[in-house]
Amino acid sequence: MRTHHPFAKWLIILGALHAIVVCAGFFAPYDPIEQDRKNPYLPPMQLHLMDAQGHLHLRPFAYALKLREGTFDQYEQDTSQLVPMRFFNSGAGYRLLGFLPSRIHLFGSVGTRICLLGTDGYGRDQFSRLLYGGQISLLAGILGAACTLSIGLCVGAAAGYFGGWKDDALMRVAELFLALPWLYLLFALRAFLPLSVSPLKAFFLIVAVIGAVGWARPARLVRGIVLSAKERDFVRAARGFGASDSYLLRRHILPETSSVLLTQAAILIPQYVLAEMTLSFLGLGVPEPAPSWGNLLSNLQQYSVLVSYWWMYLPALAMVPFFLGYLGLASSLQERREPYKIERRSPESLA
Amino acid sequence: MQPFLKVEKLVKGYERKNVAGTREKLFALDGVSFAVAQGTTLAVVGESGSGKTTLGFCISCLEIPTSGNIWFEGRDIVALAEAERRQVRPRIQLIFQDPSNSLNPRWSVQEILLEPLTLQGNLEREETQQRAATLMAQVGLSSDMFQRLPAQLSGGQRQRLAIARALALEPKLLILDEVLSALDCSVQAQIANLLMELQRTLGMTYLFITHDLAMAAHLADEMVVMNRGRVVEQGPAQKVLRHPTEEITKQLLAAVPSLDSAALPPLES
Amino acid sequence: MPFFFRRLSHAFFLLVGVSVLAFLFTTLAPGNYFDEMRLNPQIAPETVAALRAQYQLDRPLPVRYASWLNSLLHGQMGFSFAYNSPVAPLLFLRARNTLLLTITATLIAWGIALPLGVWSAERFGRLPDRLLSWATAALLVIPDLALALGLLVFAVRTDRFPSGGMTSLDFESLPAVGKLRDLALHMTLPVAALVLSALPLLIRHVRAAVAEVLNAPFMLAARGHGIPRRTLLYRYALRAAANPLISLFGFSIGALLSGSLLVEVVMSWPGLGPLLLESILSRDLYVVIGGVLFSTLFLVSGNFVADILLYWADPRIRTESGAR
Repeated sequence: MRTHHPFAKWLIILGALHAIVVCAGFFAPYDPIEQDRKNPYLPPMQLHLMDAQGHLHLRPFAYALKLREGTFDQYEQDTSQLVPMRFFNSGAGYRLLGFLPSRIHLFGSVGTRICLLGTDGYGRDQFSRLLYGGQISLLAGILGAACTLSIGLCVGAAAGYFGGWKDDALMRVAELFLALPWLYLLFALRAFLPLSVSPLKAFFLIVAVIGAVGWARPARLVRGIVLSAKERDFVRAARGFGASDSYLLRRHILPETSSVLLTQAAILIPQYVLAEMTLSFLGLGVPEPAPSWGNLLSNLQQYSVLVSYWWMYLPALAMVPFFLGYLGLASSLQERREPYKIERRSPESLA
Repeated sequence: MQPFLKVEKLVKGYERKNVAGTREKLFALDGVSFAVAQGTTLAVVGESGSGKTTLGFCISCLEIPTSGNIWFEGRDIVALAEAERRQVRPRIQLIFQDPSNSLNPRWSVQEILLEPLTLQGNLEREETQQRAATLMAQVGLSSDMFQRLPAQLSGGQRQRLAIARALALEPKLLILDEVLSALDCSVQAQIANLLMELQRTLGMTYLFITHDLAMAAHLADEMVVMNRGRVVEQGPAQKVLRHPTEEITKQLLAAVPSLDSAALPPLES
Repeated sequence: MPFFFRRLSHAFFLLVGVSVLAFLFTTLAPGNYFDEMRLNPQIAPETVAALRAQYQLDRPLPVRYASWLNSLLHGQMGFSFAYNSPVAPLLFLRARNTLLLTITATLIAWGIALPLGVWSAERFGRLPDRLLSWATAALLVIPDLALALGLLVFAVRTDRFPSGGMTSLDFESLPAVGKLRDLALHMTLPVAALVLSALPLLIRHVRAAVAEVLNAPFMLAARGHGIPRRTLLYRYALRAAANPLISLFGFSIGALLSGSLLVEVVMSWPGLGPLLLESILSRDLYVVIGGVLFSTLFLVSGNFVADILLYWADPRIRTESGAR
């Protein structure tokens, strides 16, 4: 029997990743909305320790970019302009965790910006936008998952506990929702809501829509657990001591669902972040100028961007470490729950 | 004189949807009648599916019978309203067969023990702690087990805990649903003795449900034999065992293993 | 066969239910196609009103649903405001393209996942299996959007594959073989995107299902009887694992349909996806409903096929439901 907890390791990794995004203000060198129309579509700047003359610098630096002769959008490094990286730089103001005003950033520069991932069409630093965008995308995913699991818990518990026609009716409705391919359902739901709203409203709209799409699967899982928990003798015994329905649900039955809910959360959150990315990418999600991982990618729909400015693709991979973390978390949770079964989980429970 | 417990023509039917989709009605109890005198032990014996467990559930108010009467201390508990039934519940308690199923594995021993007291809400905090300690002592468990989980106890200890929990509300009638079947042989004897001891000191009446005739013979004063939801034979335990009239009783008797020294192969010398 | 008819009627009611649900959503929709028209100063308000009446937007919901059902029975499925044509012909064309993509992707994905999963299950826990697990995990953590976009970037930068669309401009003038080749070339990237996104989960589940069967006592007994490995795998193990695998198949169809929506939009494949998106943005009501229904039809049909396969493959289901 393993004594170490792989589950804890994944939690730590995920925690660190989320912390970086939460403190985007500190880790991002520049303001995500600040435009620089004179420098659109800059390629990622490379960091060096050794300069063109062969001197070693203690501090990493980048070369400023200048336009290549004869082109209007191709840049090359200007070896005459050295831009050193400054750590704990004082830069644009922001509010840490939403309320602590601060000006300190992990790294930055004076004057010319060091754009690690280049800039977009408006000259905004992609790296900073990436970090801030993570806040919106991740939060949308987490809140959406919370929504779905709450609905699924209520519906599943009601169906499983009360049984009878209520159970039949609820499960029929669940089947309807499961009969639609989820992205189509998501789009359909989104379609019937106002298209152009403010970023804040759009955010909550999307969370509601994403949350309303996927409740059916968790509901079925919860229902199964409630059905079997209901028949356990300790529930009968409690009823024999005079327990009410709400007591039984609250203290005996629903705690049995906790591990399934946790596992579902680990599976749903990355899916929902992806859903938000998809919606925003297609213009149905969080609108400009608020950055989200989705709308960072939306100009990739233009052929010219695809051909010339390939680095605009990089934010698409931002999700990868998070997906990895959540995958590890989900796997280790399922290991804990059913350590003796050889990964036998129904597709229902995994996606 | 009114008998302590009297069951009259008890019927319990279930509707079930079989796989073809049609409903069928099953009768777990099909007109069961018997009486129990106070302070005695009545054994209810029969095979699996004979309706013994359903009988226990009906008498302990865990299920509501389809028809019939259950007279307890002069009142028909079937006809009672829910509020009044709540009053009667503490006086009839049922102990289940498998303590790993009847004790919530996530709760500590203390929480499990105190649950009935918390639910009935009668006692003060200190009093409940006292009561818990007393109950543990009564069944032979030590109070420093309070923080343990059921998984950390042995099978016998778990069943003792289940008994202690059932005693928390000071019941007058205890229904023992196959409480020894899940235990090892030696542990069975210990728990059986504990139960007899408790009956003596607390003056309880037992309804001992079992398929083990040998144990029934050991513990019971009266006996009732059930088959397919009906009572087929009843009477004083010794009489039923020595002079069974029904086929099913004879079959149950024949199934009891016994060590006949004449049948053993001779020892090699 | 009562089972067959029960599943069929079940599927039918599901479709009806979804269509009602879709129609219900329309009552929530603020704004419609004509709001934009109304804002256009060149169009007289009377014209807008007349058009609204013509498209029956002012009638109550049940009436609209009934007339939509009516048009469905006539093979029309409502009317598209934007295209100014009945919805059905639009949908059929797009649906055919989507099916082409999805079915091809399903076949290829399963064609890879089954053998790989079985191979992996045979070597459960050993190095080759672990390597494959790592590879599938690596693929699994790349979001579908990133996969599709990544392939697109790859296409554009290497210029080996067309970067979108279903056919080249000179498609009509090509000989039959050329047409096929052109189509295949255009299909490569979208199908690759779909297959790559579906593959990891499929492989994992096939591996899990087969591994569980391989460890069952009856397999051990069969091996003890000296039955050759290939027979063991394909006639014994796969058959026993058929139940979860067929359910997985039904589930994978839904996942692939959803995936195709995104892939089609990203790669400009003229399927239901871009049509749906476009009609959402322009509030073309009946096209949206029609598109959603078509995709549901595919999913429900796929699951129906899976149910039938299950009935055929699993004798337990046959005896439970039929022979009463």
